[in-house]
Amino acid sequence: MTGFLLRTDDVLRRRPWTTQSVGATSALLRLAANLVVFGMVYGAVLGSFGGISGERFRQVVYAALKVPLLLLATFLIGLPSFFVLNTLLGLRRDFGQAVRALVATQAGLAIVLASLAPVTAFWYASSADYAAAVRFNVLTFSVASLAAQALLRGYYRPLIERTGKHRAMLWTWLFIYAFVGIQMGWILRPFVGDPHAPVQFLREGAWGNAYVVVAELICRAFAR
Amino acid sequence: MWHWIQELDQILRGEKTSLPALREGRLEIPAIGLSAVIVILGLLYGVCMGTYAIFRDGGPCYDQTLASTVKVPALFVLTLIVTFPSLYVFNALVGSRLTILPVLRLLIASLAVNLAVLSSLGPIVAFFSVNTTSYPFMVLLNVAVFALSGVLGLTFLLQTLHRLSIAQGRQPPLPLPPGPADTGSNDAEPNAAVVAVAVEEPGALDRATEHVLGKHVKAVFGCWVVVFGLVGAQMGWVLRPFIGDPNLGFQWFRPRGSNFFESVWQSMLSLIS
Repeated sequence: MTGFLLRTDDVLRRRPWTTQSVGATSALLRLAANLVVFGMVYGAVLGSFGGISGERFRQVVYAALKVPLLLLATFLIGLPSFFVLNTLLGLRRDFGQAVRALVATQAGLAIVLASLAPVTAFWYASSADYAAAVRFNVLTFSVASLAAQALLRGYYRPLIERTGKHRAMLWTWLFIYAFVGIQMGWILRPFVGDPHAPVQFLREGAWGNAYVVVAELICRAFAR
Repeated sequence: MWHWIQELDQILRGEKTSLPALREGRLEIPAIGLSAVIVILGLLYGVCMGTYAIFRDGGPCYDQTLASTVKVPALFVLTLIVTFPSLYVFNALVGSRLTILPVLRLLIASLAVNLAVLSSLGPIVAFFSVNTTSYPFMVLLNVAVFALSGVLGLTFLLQTLHRLSIAQGRQPPLPLPPGPADTGSNDAEPNAAVVAVAVEEPGALDRATEHVLGKHVKAVFGCWVVVFGLVGAQMGWVLRPFIGDPNLGFQWFRPRGSNFFESVWQSMLSLIS
């Protein structure tokens, strides 16, 4: 347990083993374990808004499953285009290192989220407003994303020093990840779980497009 | 098959189109094998595109998925067949030394790059197709994906054309800059340009730095983009529907009328209204 937590600390400090090609498989497994464990920790707290007893406990389990799913699925969907674009820009030799940096960042994102879990729990304990709880979680996810981005920049620095083209790829990745991730988060709702609604893994009728919803909201605001 | 995919990989890495590889003025690419890869990649993207018809409002329409799957490779192959004679003639008129086979190989290689990017974006399109009910959004997303892959394919075409003309000795090298003036490298060693090539793997889209774009390279490329772009866009329009409007019944082809650019504009309007 202590060993595991020490390894977690290594991710935040960008220790060499996290992105070295030597022993990459075991590093990958460790990072994936970090991602799943800490994602589930935050997810469990995230889903505890309506309580943890009886029926509401299922919401806790669902949210704990959905947070790692959100991160992993977004990563996997974006990976093929990242691979082809890297190859086309002549960065194939560095691709292994780039992907290891991305995986380490994913683990870092989950760790930052988990570190915010007590704050979320405190917020839930102090306010019973569902809409405010959702907004608070948007805030925690934004904070964690910014922290992860700083981590990724650190991992990418040696690559960018090698060639400036990696900077373009970094921005491309952030765009792809955000574009897919926002929609992934939207369809995997409910995370927080409205206490007045029945517990579900996926919300009925939530199958829609986040960007279309936002465009409609903006249009409605202008039409008023 | 695996061999052809490896050939595509070498094209993407820029190994097939690097200056030393083109030194003979020849483009060593298996045209037939690569065409097969193009068709397969097109089929893959077509499936991703046709996923929308399975999950849309009003029940699945598998015919539309099948139609999308077939139409994407057809779009590229037919456009190449229709435009190839005129592309070759313009190329000869402008005074390029490329003969008919290298021109064909060059175009096929560019299409392969185009389709590799397109199909790599396929999972993203499929993901949005599964959970989006808004038809205009899917149209715009697909247009954006096609545009991005098209731009990268054309960049590859331009740079390879440029390198081919250098390899054939048509381009005088620029006078050597004094000292290490290669902007792309931070290397302070005296032989910076050479070191940079060795350290920084040259990509398929990089410009051969020590040469300027020749006048006839620009002319050939300009003609090709206009001809290929116009025919391609209209071919896409003729082969429609690719995605399948849920409010209309399934048809293999829609009645002729209107054009591509007007339709994109209409999609934008209907998304924001």
